[in-house]
Amino acid sequence: MATFEPVLLRNVGVEGARTLKVYESRGGYQAVRKALGMSPDEVVEIVKEANLRGRGGAGFPAGVKWSFLPKDRTHTLLCVNADESEPPTFCNRVLMESDPHQLIEGTIISAYATQSQIAYIYMRGEFHEQFHILQKAIDEAYAAGYLGKNIFNGDFSLEIYIHRGAGAYVCGEETGLIESLEGKRGWPRIKPPFPAVEGLFRRPTVVNNVETLSCVPHIIERGADWFTGIGPSHSVGPKLFCISGPVNKPGCYEAAMGITVRELIERDDMGGGMAPGKRVKAVFPGGVSMGVLSAEELDMKMDFDDPRNYSLLGLGTAAAVVIDQDTDMRIVLRNMARFYGTESCGQCTQCREGTAWMHKIATRIAAGAGRLEDLDLLLETARNMGMMPGLSICGLSDGATYPIETIVKKFRSELEEAIRSQPAGRVDRVLQVLN
Amino acid sequence: MSWKTLDRNQQAVDPDAPPVLSDAIRDRIRSFFDRYETKRAVLLPALHIVQNTLGHVSWQAMAEIAELLEIHPSDVMNTISFYTHFWTHPKGEKVITVCRSITCEVMGGSAVLDELKQQLGVDEHGTTTDGRYSLVTEECLAGCDHGPCLLVNEKMHKCVKPEDVAKILADSGNDRLSMERSELFDVPAGTSEHALSASSSGDGNIDTTSDVREMRES
Amino acid sequence: MPKIIIDNQEIECRDGVNVLQAALEAGMEIPHYCYHPGLKVVASCRLCLMEMQMPHPKTQEMGWVPKLFPSCQTPVRDGMICRFDSDTVKQNQANCMEFFLLNHPLDCPVCDQAGECHLQDYSYHFGHAESRMVDQKLKTPKKDIGPRTLLYSDRCVMCTRCVRFTEEISGTHELCMVNRGSRAEIDVFSGHPLDNPLQGNVVDICPVGCLLDKDFLFKRRVWELNGTSSVCPGCATGCSIRVDQADNHVYRLKPRFNPKVNDWWMCDEGRFGSDYVHDAKRISSPIVRRGLDETTPAWEDMPEILRFRFEEHVREHSGESVVAMLSPFMSCEEGWLLIKFIREIAPNATLAMGPVPMAGEDQSFPAGANGDAVKFTILKEKCPNRKGIEQLIASAGGNTLSFEEFVGQCTEGKFSAGWVVGGYPNEWVDKATAKIASKFQLLVVQDLFENALMAGAAVVLPACAWVEREGSFMNAAGLVQPFERAVQPPDGARHDGQYLYEIAGYTGLYSGERVRELMAESKADLSVAYEAPCKPVHAH
Repeated sequence: MATFEPVLLRNVGVEGARTLKVYESRGGYQAVRKALGMSPDEVVEIVKEANLRGRGGAGFPAGVKWSFLPKDRTHTLLCVNADESEPPTFCNRVLMESDPHQLIEGTIISAYATQSQIAYIYMRGEFHEQFHILQKAIDEAYAAGYLGKNIFNGDFSLEIYIHRGAGAYVCGEETGLIESLEGKRGWPRIKPPFPAVEGLFRRPTVVNNVETLSCVPHIIERGADWFTGIGPSHSVGPKLFCISGPVNKPGCYEAAMGITVRELIERDDMGGGMAPGKRVKAVFPGGVSMGVLSAEELDMKMDFDDPRNYSLLGLGTAAAVVIDQDTDMRIVLRNMARFYGTESCGQCTQCREGTAWMHKIATRIAAGAGRLEDLDLLLETARNMGMMPGLSICGLSDGATYPIETIVKKFRSELEEAIRSQPAGRVDRVLQVLN
Repeated sequence: MSWKTLDRNQQAVDPDAPPVLSDAIRDRIRSFFDRYETKRAVLLPALHIVQNTLGHVSWQAMAEIAELLEIHPSDVMNTISFYTHFWTHPKGEKVITVCRSITCEVMGGSAVLDELKQQLGVDEHGTTTDGRYSLVTEECLAGCDHGPCLLVNEKMHKCVKPEDVAKILADSGNDRLSMERSELFDVPAGTSEHALSASSSGDGNIDTTSDVREMRES
Repeated sequence: MPKIIIDNQEIECRDGVNVLQAALEAGMEIPHYCYHPGLKVVASCRLCLMEMQMPHPKTQEMGWVPKLFPSCQTPVRDGMICRFDSDTVKQNQANCMEFFLLNHPLDCPVCDQAGECHLQDYSYHFGHAESRMVDQKLKTPKKDIGPRTLLYSDRCVMCTRCVRFTEEISGTHELCMVNRGSRAEIDVFSGHPLDNPLQGNVVDICPVGCLLDKDFLFKRRVWELNGTSSVCPGCATGCSIRVDQADNHVYRLKPRFNPKVNDWWMCDEGRFGSDYVHDAKRISSPIVRRGLDETTPAWEDMPEILRFRFEEHVREHSGESVVAMLSPFMSCEEGWLLIKFIREIAPNATLAMGPVPMAGEDQSFPAGANGDAVKFTILKEKCPNRKGIEQLIASAGGNTLSFEEFVGQCTEGKFSAGWVVGGYPNEWVDKATAKIASKFQLLVVQDLFENALMAGAAVVLPACAWVEREGSFMNAAGLVQPFERAVQPPDGARHDGQYLYEIAGYTGLYSGERVRELMAESKADLSVAYEAPCKPVHAH
């Protein structure tokens, strides 16, 4: 593993890597030239062969997504999902601020493969510096003739526009993103029709994550076999892992999938171990929506399959946050509940009401007025929001239940103890004030 | 029951008031029309533009945007209220956005927030009496590798400790970006960067802000 | 016609409907809020979720998929197997009901919707008896969102039907959502209130007590109301409606589903246009004058008096001197009875059409739509039966006149005996028309209110409002719809159908159906098959 050669992050830290000149001097914009020499379908086939699974959280194969586009379409739109909003994920931020041309190149190749005329980069509103960096890079690419009419002096034309969001987690859901691009509230759409058939402005649309698209130039350049040769067979290709919290070297690291959470925390070329005096109490290994691991579960492999064995929702964004022994799990519980309570879009009943209710309960528990039955109530509410697939239109509801459910289940004794040690009569007094 | 009935028949916008969107703002918004198939899709860019130049999106601004994009004012209100970044009432010159997500909270973000509240003398969503700062919190700013973090307008401050707060507030350039700006969106009104570019004409960035200056002077 | 199995029961369904619609049409009660057959599917209330069987991806064996599907969004396919009676589905319904009531103020005792509220009904059938939430409820304000409508946000279930109505049907976009998540509310942009000609429908489609009609607010508990099938007389569209009355008072009009006319909707002009029914100035007793002598005879004597006076006139003058002006507010039956009476006495009597009230232009909705996109039309012709009466006159043949010709010829003194029918909700006798009264020796005037012709009339007959009568109207598209009697006429009055029936020589009780039989027997072209009341395509 130590010999792993970073690809996606190869330009990070390189002086001037944001500029076209430096990017090209390091081999940039060669893949797109190669791709433009192939037929679009050939490009799709290579990406399909590489089994490039979406890096945004759901893990759906990008090439398969592209092949859902109707054959007889006249217009196609590509949306780049740069609405990275899942705490504690920041790998797309790193990609965009360190190596914007890599994303642009990946976008051009993917737009060519899908025969898209316009690519919209939906960038979350919190990204200001990244917006200016990426927009400058796009301006440069236009000036060089890599974007616009007849790019690279060929037949293909492509416009790239950045569309800035304005603070809504749910706009990272692909149909919420499309609605938001249309100038509406980011309410996810009901499917079918799927975006590939009827998406943005009712046209066939592909939505891909920044990291997914950033992989594409390398697949074209090095071939599908290179890509599938990295990592376990079900989770191939280089992957970005984020690590944050009280570790020595919080940051974004590239590795093959299948590394363990423990490696991510401990390895010198990654998290570098816990900060002095800090011990692991819990880890959210894949973005908060995937759920939490206890300190005993750090051998979980970070790939598309293993998280299921630890009652987690999935790999998610592969962004881990470490909770140390000094952090009260009631605070973590409240933080999770507040996040989903604030970010639920309010469309589906279970999610709208359930997240708000869990937030109320968690706030009360954190304020030292919890009841033991509140823990069961939280579990049941979580189950009622996500007891079966299909309960809500998008995945936010499922994502909201996993952290709550896993915190309560895996840290129940701590929570119970905290509740038991509350001063007598406090719950009644608080409830009296509330009502 | 102390519920009141809000009267929505009342005009939120004075029909005789002069327009708040200058021709320059309107042209800027129109320049986005080519990018999208529908005018409605220009709504988010338009709201950003208006907020950057006027500081907030007033009822009248919403009505004028609606007219420009050929949609109903309620459609603008619908969209604007869904997103957390837009202000429908005046805010401070600089907005401090404190991240409150899990990493920042674990790393001590709430102490930073408390310190800010104390030093500014405002609560969340409050604006200081001198109008210089508004304080808000946001879910994840995607700066977890250097939490706790906060934004002063567009500028990210990393690994902030409570004891850093005073220094950040004292720095008049605390919102200045270290990279070159794209001219696609205006410098937010009221920023030090704006003041800077206004004083040193000849800088490539100031073309877009002249209308702001006029408006601020009037 | 696809056949599907729901809860082990095979049902046949219409092509192209969704499973929820098919189940509702088969008489099953499936809870739902956001689904309305007249609006786009949003599948957001998640109350109508069901289970489905699908072939196993490997074995191809049919089995229940461990997933819930929104039945409102799933189109029927022949042979599909679904169920609503499983524990999972029922649990989800119960959970949803708990969620809906978390922040609800539970103010049913003072809620106008109580009794026809789907929060009440569904909680009763599918929900829990108590709330497990001990924390504070979210309180949201009441809003005055327009001249006729109030919005009590705290009762809202965010089904967004009202918002979709203003987007898709009225096309006026006044209503919108604001905020997100549990703090979301319905609202209007202040100063752009909900004020479109169809706005009353949002109150109808609100499944709970959130949108309220100011006109009906706190007037009556809904379970005291009795509904009667009727037809709106407001314009020539002829919307199918229901008249809700209690104690002989009309409290509200509601649209009744009719896919050929109005779907689920009606306009405000019709909905709120029935106040004249209870106007104190209505005339209620007949007057008969001879010389200076003025009497109010018993209704039983009326047929004989009228027949005698007209026969006397025809004997002394001629049949050609007799004219009858029919009103587009008469039912087809009443028109036929009057024509029968007049033409029996004077076969060469003239028949004239009364004035057809017009106002403005036709209004189509959604605003600006045309062709197939039109969902609703308010016609400028403000009467229910112009076409029906015209056809009766045409079918009777002989001398016929338009209203203008009628006034002209009356002014010239061509007629000396006449029967003039009004029934217009508004003043209709203009100056020129008023002058014709003096030309008649024998004038019968039948109207709701006193008019300028009555002073010179030999006989004044009180007319009744349509809710007090029974019969049928033919709308502008030629569709004949029956309407039933909802309330009794004012004391002393008798409804037009009954006295015309007797005057035309029949005995016993008038019934619209009986007269339609008589009409059909008398002439083949009058045996129009009228539109039977529509079986409602479920819409709550």
